[in-house]
Amino acid sequence: MTSALLTIRNVEKHFNKYHAVDGISLDIKENEFFALLGPSGSGKTTLLRMLAGFETPTVGSILLDGEDISRIPPNHRPINLMFQSYALFPHMTVAQNIAYGLEMEKLPKAEIKSRVNEMMEMVQLPHLAGRKPEQLSGGQRQRVALARSLVKRPRLLLLDEPLGALDKKLRGEMQLELKRIQDQFGITFIVVTHDQEEALVMADRIAILKDGKLLQHGTPLEIYEYPQTRFAADFIGVMNFFPATVHGGTLKSADGTSFRAEIPDTISAGDDVMAAVRPERLHLGAGEKENSLTGTVRAMAYHGLDLQVHLDTPLSPQPVMLRLTADAAEGHALSVGDSITAGWSARDTRVFAA
Amino acid sequence: MADRKPIYLMTPALLWLTGFMVIPCLLILALAFFRRGIYGGIEYDFTLENIALVFDPLYVGIFIQSAIIAGQSALIASVVGYAAAYAIAAMPKKRQPLLLFLAILPFWSNYLVRTYAWIVLLNREGLVVAVARALGYDQELPSLLYTEGAVIVGLVYNYLPFVILACYAPLARLNTEITEASRDLGAGGWTTFRRITLPMTVPGIATGFVFVFVLSIGNFVTPALLGGGQFQMIGNLVYAQFLTANDWPFGAALSMALIAVMMGLLTLQTFATERASGGRAEGDAHG
Amino acid sequence: MGNRAPLPFMLAILAAVFAFLYLPISVLFALSFNEGGMPTAWSGFSVKWYYSLFQDKDIIHAALNTLIVAVISTILAAILGTLLAIGVEIRRRKGRFLETMIFAPMIIPDIVLAIALLSFFSLLDVTMGLHTIIVSHVVFNLAFVCSVVRARLKGFDWSIVEASTDLGAPILVTLRRIVVPVLMPAVVAGSLLAFTLSVDEFIIAFFTAGAGRASITLPMQIFSMIRFGVTPEINALSAIVMTVSVVILAVSQRLNRGGLPGQ
Repeated sequence: MTSALLTIRNVEKHFNKYHAVDGISLDIKENEFFALLGPSGSGKTTLLRMLAGFETPTVGSILLDGEDISRIPPNHRPINLMFQSYALFPHMTVAQNIAYGLEMEKLPKAEIKSRVNEMMEMVQLPHLAGRKPEQLSGGQRQRVALARSLVKRPRLLLLDEPLGALDKKLRGEMQLELKRIQDQFGITFIVVTHDQEEALVMADRIAILKDGKLLQHGTPLEIYEYPQTRFAADFIGVMNFFPATVHGGTLKSADGTSFRAEIPDTISAGDDVMAAVRPERLHLGAGEKENSLTGTVRAMAYHGLDLQVHLDTPLSPQPVMLRLTADAAEGHALSVGDSITAGWSARDTRVFAA
Repeated sequence: MADRKPIYLMTPALLWLTGFMVIPCLLILALAFFRRGIYGGIEYDFTLENIALVFDPLYVGIFIQSAIIAGQSALIASVVGYAAAYAIAAMPKKRQPLLLFLAILPFWSNYLVRTYAWIVLLNREGLVVAVARALGYDQELPSLLYTEGAVIVGLVYNYLPFVILACYAPLARLNTEITEASRDLGAGGWTTFRRITLPMTVPGIATGFVFVFVLSIGNFVTPALLGGGQFQMIGNLVYAQFLTANDWPFGAALSMALIAVMMGLLTLQTFATERASGGRAEGDAHG
Repeated sequence: MGNRAPLPFMLAILAAVFAFLYLPISVLFALSFNEGGMPTAWSGFSVKWYYSLFQDKDIIHAALNTLIVAVISTILAAILGTLLAIGVEIRRRKGRFLETMIFAPMIIPDIVLAIALLSFFSLLDVTMGLHTIIVSHVVFNLAFVCSVVRARLKGFDWSIVEASTDLGAPILVTLRRIVVPVLMPAVVAGSLLAFTLSVDEFIIAFFTAGAGRASITLPMQIFSMIRFGVTPEINALSAIVMTVSVVILAVSQRLNRGGLPGQ
């Protein structure tokens, strides 16, 4: 079993009375692409800055390869940070920017030169070596920022909202590019983002943060299919929620309908809960599914890949959404106002405390 | 709004400026080419002798001396001003406007009075001497006033607030992430300052330096009050030509030379700022 | 800026610089209340120097002159400068030459402007006096008012002018009822700035006042007091003069939320 590369142990960060980070513990492995995911104010950026060394934990410790680095200043840590604004040095050329970190290591000139050239080749920038940052496009600047940090071969690379400044198409390309680079270099990446889609695409494992606390961590699949909190269920992807109460082994919804679900041990009979189902798990027609609902079509949105059907139902005050693939939608001509039935499995139902 | 109207609005002011600034200045330019009359008037003969006189070693020497004093003042003011601006920018953001306001405040008071204050401090019965005596120093102290040093102190004192302001602007605009990036890449505090902060804030220093230099070299009041009778800078020289020596053409020629020097410096500064401003776009803090 | 440099060191630098900036001024203030009037010894608190100021006819005369010059030149500068600012900002085509003309009064070394005006007035054989000082002060005052008003105009929403025209108002009415009221704070701020500059101005006044003591201004008076005989009254006078300029400029700053040269 590989021991963790980075251990965050009970870390808290207080600014006067405000706890930006409120007791987080995490292990991050070697050669892993890890995402810290959360809305603004969740503490993810503060945590990242503590890893980089720009903040010191008020409580707790940060261990790298078993050694406590919590108090080591940023210029002495084998960890590098790629800033949200890239923070390229405007008065230096691309090559000089990339060389900077190596100069700080006091390496011989020849070695610096060769490593810089090598790195520029790897991020496809060699033709831009003599340019200044203001002459580069957003995507090019990002690659320079990446190259500048990677050339130092850190144990850990931190990325603060790396794709926020890019347009949609570029973002998609860069997501895959970052994954490729991480894989190629074998360096652990920790990415901070508020974009759950980005996290799902890029990361090997994700940690969900809210209000300074760690809600859940796991692989993208685990997070998506098995959210442990209502917040996570809502934050990741789209989720349909129905209020219900527990009766025996089943759930009873607001309008009296029963449906089946796996009820977690923490919830007892008589409790009020929120049941949840993913839109893609709802199928047209009751079929052989354990659970079903009926509703009126309120709106439909065609997205190419899928058809989103919004139903008004007595089950929930919010409209329920179905995601139908092209195959599933075929043969059923739907219009606004139609009354339809949708079914889903018990095991696709999630249950959270209300 | 019709484009015609603006002309009517601007005319009165432009007429005034033309009549009371442009024409008088052109007059001075012309005056430099005329001859001084025997009794101190102006003889309207075209001559180049005033211009030639400006290049006389005596006067060139005075120009150089003025430039050296102006240069020293500008240098000291730039260093001190930059340090103060850096310190202000390092303070908590909420306090910075107040600190800047306090730094500028003396600049708003009367120039003469500010200069006079140094006479009070530096003269034979002044404060500095009084303090020294109080500390037990009984010997004859060299005169602090009416020296080159006093003039430099006066010039620095008067223009320091402006330098602080000029240096503060680029320092405050500096994106924190850039200095953090430097540290993240392994640079210590001093290296970060030397290789990142300083180069990126040079335009501010340049502006401050040129401002102090230009205002100092043409200055009249400070050398007159703090330098005493023997002290001659260009400003005093021009004053003398017009009010004691009564050689207006020569005074005009000297002023022309002064303007030429100033224009040269300002052009140099614009040139240097444009070269350094290659980095302005990324260096500014984003919202 | 980052929290790298040790804070105590930064505080020390600030303390030293502020001490340097405020020491001379504070000494003057303290001295003006010193019974003995000399910096050598403190002989007790007294306002006698302030009293004697108000008895001194020369000083009252100079102060009055200064006030007249300042008020009149400010009013003229306010009108000319504001009109100029509006005219310049309306124009779609900005001329380099125009810009240089407008900035020139603020950049020309005052001694050059002073001798230029002196030569000009002499050539025209004009008797010099307060009127020539006023005329000269308007030159740089209008440039400053213009600059302050222009700064305010840069953020001005021109569509309110178009709305006024659309509703039927002729140009002058629009100017009077829409543009000018919106610009008022800037005009007042610029005027206060001009007023202060005029009150404190020495060189140009000195050269354009003409012979004799009739049109002596306060700065000229102060200059000759410093040059030809320091009496302790100067300290009291200095204290008053400084306070006046600073207070006026602080008020002006408040009115216009900055926009002054220096902010």
